[in-house]
Amino acid sequence: MIQALNSAMDIMLGRDPSVVLMGEDIGYFGGVFRATEGLQRKYGEHRVLDTPIAEGGIVAAAIGMAVNGLRPVAEIQFADYIYPGFDQIVSELARLRYRSAGEFYAPVTIRTPCGGGIRGGQTHSQSPEGIFTHVSGLKVVMPSNPYDAKGLLITAIEDDDPVVFFEPKRVYNGPFDGDPNKPAVPWSTHPKGQVPEGHYTIPFGKADVVRAGSDLTIVTYGTMVFVALAAAASLGIDAEVIDLRSLVPLDVETIAASVTKTGRCVVAHEATRFSGFGAEILSVVQEECFWSLEAPIQRVAGWDTPYPHAFEWEYFPGQARVAKAIKAVMESP
Amino acid sequence: MRLHLPRPPARPGEKPDFGYVHLSPAGAVARPEVSARALDMGPLATELVRVLDDEHEAVGPWNPHLDPAELQVGLRHMLLTRLYDDRMQRTQRAGKISFYMRSLGEEAVSVAACMALSPGDMLFPSYRNQGLHIARGIPLVDLMCQLLSNTRDMCKGRQLPVMYHSRPGNLFSISGNLATQFPQAVGWAMAAALKGEDHLAASWIGEGSSAEADFHHALLFASVYQAPVILNVVNNQWAISTFQGYAGGEQRSFAARGPGYGIAGIRADGNDFLAVHAVTAWAAQRARTGAGPTLIELVTYRAAAHSTSDDPARYRAKDDQEHWPLGDPIERLKQHLIKLGEWSEERHRALATELEALVAASWQQAITYGTMSEGPRLNSDLMFEDVFKEMPKHLLKQREQMRAERG
Amino acid sequence: MSQFVFKMPDLGEGTVEAEIVAWHTEPGAQVSEDQVIVEVMTDKAAVEVPAPVSGRVVSVTGAPGDKVAVGSPLIVFELGAAAPAKAAVSAPPAPAPRADSAMPRVAATAPPPEAAVPRAVPATRIMTSPANRRRAHEAGIDLATVVGSGPGGRIVRDDLATASAGSGANASAGSGEGASRSARPGPAAEPAMPTPAAAETSEIKVIGLRRLIAERMSEAKRTIPHFAYVEEVDVTELEALRQHLNGKLAKGEPTFTYLPLVTAALVRALASFPQCNALYDAARGVLVRHRSVHVGIATQTPDGLKVPVVRHAESLALRELAAEIRRVSERARANTAAREELGGSTITITSLGKLGGIASTPIINTPEVAIIGLNKAVERPVVHQGAVAIRRIMNLSSSFDHRFVDGYDAAAMIQALKELIEHPATIFIAR
Repeated sequence: MIQALNSAMDIMLGRDPSVVLMGEDIGYFGGVFRATEGLQRKYGEHRVLDTPIAEGGIVAAAIGMAVNGLRPVAEIQFADYIYPGFDQIVSELARLRYRSAGEFYAPVTIRTPCGGGIRGGQTHSQSPEGIFTHVSGLKVVMPSNPYDAKGLLITAIEDDDPVVFFEPKRVYNGPFDGDPNKPAVPWSTHPKGQVPEGHYTIPFGKADVVRAGSDLTIVTYGTMVFVALAAAASLGIDAEVIDLRSLVPLDVETIAASVTKTGRCVVAHEATRFSGFGAEILSVVQEECFWSLEAPIQRVAGWDTPYPHAFEWEYFPGQARVAKAIKAVMESP
Repeated sequence: MRLHLPRPPARPGEKPDFGYVHLSPAGAVARPEVSARALDMGPLATELVRVLDDEHEAVGPWNPHLDPAELQVGLRHMLLTRLYDDRMQRTQRAGKISFYMRSLGEEAVSVAACMALSPGDMLFPSYRNQGLHIARGIPLVDLMCQLLSNTRDMCKGRQLPVMYHSRPGNLFSISGNLATQFPQAVGWAMAAALKGEDHLAASWIGEGSSAEADFHHALLFASVYQAPVILNVVNNQWAISTFQGYAGGEQRSFAARGPGYGIAGIRADGNDFLAVHAVTAWAAQRARTGAGPTLIELVTYRAAAHSTSDDPARYRAKDDQEHWPLGDPIERLKQHLIKLGEWSEERHRALATELEALVAASWQQAITYGTMSEGPRLNSDLMFEDVFKEMPKHLLKQREQMRAERG
Repeated sequence: MSQFVFKMPDLGEGTVEAEIVAWHTEPGAQVSEDQVIVEVMTDKAAVEVPAPVSGRVVSVTGAPGDKVAVGSPLIVFELGAAAPAKAAVSAPPAPAPRADSAMPRVAATAPPPEAAVPRAVPATRIMTSPANRRRAHEAGIDLATVVGSGPGGRIVRDDLATASAGSGANASAGSGEGASRSARPGPAAEPAMPTPAAAETSEIKVIGLRRLIAERMSEAKRTIPHFAYVEEVDVTELEALRQHLNGKLAKGEPTFTYLPLVTAALVRALASFPQCNALYDAARGVLVRHRSVHVGIATQTPDGLKVPVVRHAESLALRELAAEIRRVSERARANTAAREELGGSTITITSLGKLGGIASTPIINTPEVAIIGLNKAVERPVVHQGAVAIRRIMNLSSSFDHRFVDGYDAAAMIQALKELIEHPATIFIAR
């Protein structure tokens, strides 16, 4: 996925002279995850900027640049560090178009790695996407694979609205099915790891039915897509797995059509359970598909604790937790 | 062990005492080259740049030597600002608008600075810089319609009164959040430099707001990137009821923070039209020649309340502002022009009458677009527009629900 | 004081309902346990039913001559100080009565007021999933009359299937288009429980889909004067077409069977014989001819015979028709067919394929008036254009409702169908 993200930024830097990248360690060093590797060498120090360690300043400066006609792509090194920039994101970036009746707007993309499964503890493993979905004026996306990542990032950069782009770092290098003892599988072996070289976009607001099925619907995003697929396969359940990709705007039609068809739904995400984005999905499913529900909707999420270091695999919602939810929803008569 | 707590010199009922305000004699402070290093400009951050002395004469190296015609324009802008403020204050008290914030005593801070800048320079104001809008020629009707949130409101009903913006006037959208505009201005300036343009950005915050992290981010980024930006801290001594000591002003001037970041810091008399103009022009030239950003502290006094919701008699001496050592900006410029033989009290009165009539006529026009109680109203459908560039499905759906509710 | 609802007991030997012959008690009367309270008649015999409890009769259901389904409420008793005999507190209903028992035992539906945890269906709140509520609503089933066999007395989907006897429910040989045959809403079934002495025989309770099939088959045979018409059809050309089409399929595409081809031909033939594409509304005494052809595809499923429906077969091209036949059949087999996919047919096709034999007498799927059966297609020596030739022959064994379809019309329709099949191109020539 790293190469896909790099390619997206490379293409956009080449196509649109107003695109600039900014963030901590992204310029000369190429980013702590190598996402911006080689880009400063290729496009120069004035297109790919290193910044101070000041997330609030990064976002604010990006806003100012965007108002002056640039199209900044700001990296927040870990989603865990996004909070110092929260005010500028929520109070300013999200509302600028609205409060100025469209006279001013800031086409800023904020990229940030999120999620656990990497033994990063509570300051390198958080999934705060739900918090941002609650803010009107922000688009929130999270790809699960390289193909989607590149298309969505290009869409995000081209979008005139602000986008918070979450990158589940556990799947930077390959899909992860929740089993830490298995050897890592690279993206090169996976169909979604095949990424076209040129420019392409994936629209926001369109979920991907990763696997069609008729027993139940699993609505998920990010790393959990692969965990869910594996859990369903291990049970021999014919699950329809939907990768949301785009949290705001949300593809309600795809979710509703699926659960109406299957009558059974599991919602899965890494983020903490209480008031997580899963609660919104659950609510939407309940509203749209109530009369088709054969069983209560099940929710799989991280526990409501800060992300612990030593208990990584008890915390991470792995196949066991997903399988339990699948069984519960299938066994309701 | 005791915790020190900043205290203003005079509370209600006490005698006003502005001895804490460090003053320099008019014309005493040197004027360095625009290319001077911040580190070499030490005294400017703690002294006070003044051009008009107590006899209303322009003195010293900072004298901008402005044309009397230009000064008259400045006086006009300042007076219009004040009269507009006065009228809008009364209008709020009459219940015709919901809220207002005056800039009484701070007219020069905005007007003089604006006139020292170019129209292509981007301004990032706070809510007390209406002088900028007036000096840039934004019609009063437009400002009033924003106050009224009526059918001609530039914000389409979405903002509290006084949160103006003007794209053609290069006046950035005012936020209710404090200090957020400071680092945004720096970003804008960085982009101007990246694009190789001649424009600069200027921003204003109050001294109270300089406590926010955004202040630090602005100075840091301005310093790191040597952005072509002018960062103004308007030290009007009060942030609602919070005395400037709580923003750190007791221990150090606000301008002195500039050199701490390696930025040129200048402390200037905010009620002196010529001084404000001069330091702004200096900072503008510094920025445009690539010599970097400047932090300017405008020392002034918030002569009125924080807003129509505030009553300063509850936390400061009632006649405080009359004892302010640096006088009133309009009065001083007027006297200076009279001294130059380029103005008179009669002309001033006539100007005041003319401008009052302009304000009144503008109001009459503004209310034809709707008031809080009668006339055309904005369609609440507008609530759902401009959240995003294009209205997404979920908002279309919600708009339908709202319409059904509304009937 | 508590109430006890005595339901029609299972009287053995596969009875599903019994007719009330005579009441030996009445509301208000005080009865003692074992006292004969009602005399009922099954297919086999007359049976005297004794009171299972002592108490006062609150109400009785049914008058002499009425048929009462096994498991449906028969008498409501108000009990004395003694706790209700054998009243089950937990959800699973009582075990089946022994074959020789004259003392049937049934489950209580109303929880005894002294019960600490009423696990049976509570009097006020009906527990069932939203999907089941919808199904009940669409089927016109009053959930209050359904006893839940799920956890905590929850009504599960199968409970609805057994409850919907006669009101066009989600099973079996086609459903009527609204006309409800039975005035009595069915109660829940009791689960099959083997008798203790299982060595020589095993008992399977006739409930659920099987019971529905049984009832509908009986009714069809009972009410419709069936007449059969068998014709042999030369499908050599049809087979050639079928092979040709199958040869042109992409890898992995399912192959055509005879079924979609014959269905397409049938739809064409019906255009000239609207009297065969009709439904009889017995309640109103009206024969309703339909312009659209909704073809029931009799499908064998693990649960039993179901008839999923291909709607608007007249509007489907051949590929679509084949796909839709496949789709609804698979859904019926997988038990995922929606209610509207299992009813509403205007004519039914039944095919046993390779097991099809040479002739059969299919039972009409009420309230339709015709059913077309496909027998096995085999190679036979026949006289063809004056010489003996090996041709592929498939018999069509059809049944018609002689009340509404005269012999001549039936024969003419089948002949028209035969002609289309024997000249397959004509099936697809636009009108």
